[in-house]
Amino acid sequence: MSNQQYDAIVVGSGISGGWAAKELTEKGLKVLLLERGRNIEHIKDYVNANKEPWEFPHRGLMPTQEMLQNYPVLKRDYPLNEEVLDYWVKDKECPYTETKPFSWFRGYHVGGRSLMWGRQSYRWNKWDFEANLKDGYGVDWPIRYDDMASWYSYAEKFAGIQGSLEGLDVLPDGDFMPAMEMNIVEKDVAAKIKKHYNNERHMFIGRSANITQAHHDRTNCQYRNRCWRGCPFGGYFSTQSATLPAAMKTGNLTLRPFSIVTQVLYDKNTKKATGVEVLDATDNKTYEFKAKIVFLCASAFNSTWVLMNSAHDVWADGLGSSSGELGHNVMDHHFRCGANGQAEGFSDTYQYGRRPTGIYVPRFRNIYNDKRDYLRGFGYQGGAGRGRGADIAEFTIGADLKDSLSVPSDHWGMGVMAFGEVLPYHENKISLNKNVKDKWGLPVLDMDVEIKDNEKKMRIDMMNDAAEMLEAAGLKNVNTYDYGYEFGMGIHEMGTARMGRDPKTSVLNGNNQVWDAPNVFVTDGACMTSASCVNPSLTYMALTARAAEFAVSELKKGNL
Amino acid sequence: MDRREYLKKIALLSGAAVVGVDFFLSGCSPNGTAAGNFSKAQLALLDEIGETIIPATQTPGAKAAEVGKFMEVMVRDCYTTEQQATFKAGLISVDEASQKANGMRFTESTAQQRHDLLVSLEKEAKAYNEKKEKDKPVHFYTMMKQLTLWGFFTSKTGMTETLRHIPVPGKFDGAFPYAKGDKAWAE
Repeated sequence: MSNQQYDAIVVGSGISGGWAAKELTEKGLKVLLLERGRNIEHIKDYVNANKEPWEFPHRGLMPTQEMLQNYPVLKRDYPLNEEVLDYWVKDKECPYTETKPFSWFRGYHVGGRSLMWGRQSYRWNKWDFEANLKDGYGVDWPIRYDDMASWYSYAEKFAGIQGSLEGLDVLPDGDFMPAMEMNIVEKDVAAKIKKHYNNERHMFIGRSANITQAHHDRTNCQYRNRCWRGCPFGGYFSTQSATLPAAMKTGNLTLRPFSIVTQVLYDKNTKKATGVEVLDATDNKTYEFKAKIVFLCASAFNSTWVLMNSAHDVWADGLGSSSGELGHNVMDHHFRCGANGQAEGFSDTYQYGRRPTGIYVPRFRNIYNDKRDYLRGFGYQGGAGRGRGADIAEFTIGADLKDSLSVPSDHWGMGVMAFGEVLPYHENKISLNKNVKDKWGLPVLDMDVEIKDNEKKMRIDMMNDAAEMLEAAGLKNVNTYDYGYEFGMGIHEMGTARMGRDPKTSVLNGNNQVWDAPNVFVTDGACMTSASCVNPSLTYMALTARAAEFAVSELKKGNL
Repeated sequence: MDRREYLKKIALLSGAAVVGVDFFLSGCSPNGTAAGNFSKAQLALLDEIGETIIPATQTPGAKAAEVGKFMEVMVRDCYTTEQQATFKAGLISVDEASQKANGMRFTESTAQQRHDLLVSLEKEAKAYNEKKEKDKPVHFYTMMKQLTLWGFFTSKTGMTETLRHIPVPGKFDGAFPYAKGDKAWAE
């Protein structure tokens, strides 16, 4: 058993963990970054990055039967694909149980899901941080937009977020790189929506963590749109392309892959953590590492899992459980419904390049004077494009069919999909299932989570508003769709160790410190007190950087 | 690829031809054994069926793209046992139908005879798919056509000679001029 001492330990190397490692090392701390899975080195290990479709045995078109058997969860949605198979957890090896259906899509390797993420990057607005207080769901956030604004800027400048300045309170502008462009149909639809809704609804380029200018050692986006395989240009933000090299440059970082953190070591006399226990996945041995502070960034549910497994000599349900809220208030974004239609005209235009983002329509429900029969709201993501295949008579095969499929479609199409806020319900919870163990003999999580009436009512608007807007923009053959949503599919797990103002009703304080152990910080999705309707990763980056600065200043003051 | 891309890909691949988007969306349910490979003669037959659907014109066709081999891999690895059985029985029935209509095997018949036979299968498949039970496999011809189109338009020749493909575009233009007849992008 080794007994190595660091200033700080960071658990998890995804978006939040990478940021924690960068911030803490840059402030001079000696940091141990623990990752439960293998290492994936930037560029070198992106084995599929430059493959063409014909170089994949199944052309990335369909999962094999073997894949379906090995990935019973991942197969529930689009992520199961041979292009990126190595980046997703083999479900069978990492089980969990579902009291109610929950799709948990995980990436256990250095970089975590920062390698495969959708890269959409939005600030929360001032109302998002006030929502719980106003309507009484969950507890009040201990912070407001003004506490976050400068940290959003800080995160945006380093990560490199492209986007346009729109001057909207509902989706605050940020420190952006030059925006990618909407295509000709999107511009037309945006202008028509603006006019039809008297400038109360907006559509613009989806803000994303794809750089449009060279940035640090990274090359600007080359419009390949193969981001999720890993980008050989470093064109999008990931741990590998951005935070890890920054942390490595300080000389203060030790990265340790194959390190499954099984618990935070807690000293009940000092009421502080002393380090973590690690199960080494290569030799199946247990190690202890000591540090003055611990950052849990293992992804929402796994950070909470570590807390639940810790300090059992004091609390039966784990570190942070004294409030009774640990594991509760699970959130995600519900989606997979919207509308699409056809644009007329524009037959003399096409697109060049594969833009790795679409459009965004910020929330317009339940803000200003709008009032619906549900709380909170949703935004839209989508885009216009000109598909392939001209119209042709039925039952045509041969040269005519080949010709028709060799040219673009006669019309451009446009589709939008809504992403809606899920309320924080105490009864939506995860817990340790001690009856089921994974291959390491560790208890697995049980999911007991569902959407309720508020979300179901919202979905009706999510679909119908989409169709109404597309029709108002002059699109033809507008159809609505709802592919159905299962909790977790948003891959935006949030909550289970929420921030709050009162240790009796929250797990973390306003600086992401565990109330019951002030030198333990949780800055990933677990800390979220509500969900907003915008993609959460940028907020994790900002919260992590903010908490890291606080932690280091407290360390210097001798408070931790 | 992300959520948005996934939907676009489905739309793109299905193109104007009606080829079982539902089938693609639902994937397939797990099953036991993988079936073996096709015989040389069966591969040649699949190539010719593919070539009848997507022939060589000014650019190479399905045979040059080796769609037979592609179909073999997809049927072997991705299909359920039930789908494999449907596909294999269908393959045999193509020659039977050819014998009945033209008195010879499919590969021995003329280009026009092959064309006419597949058009009749197009019609048969449409009628079959419309009234089949939801969880039953689609008509074998629908499988063959779908795999031909997928295989051809994701092959090197399909993507680079029949379509236009630029691996690293380097820039984006959302109002790129298009003249009637210009080839579509491969992705």
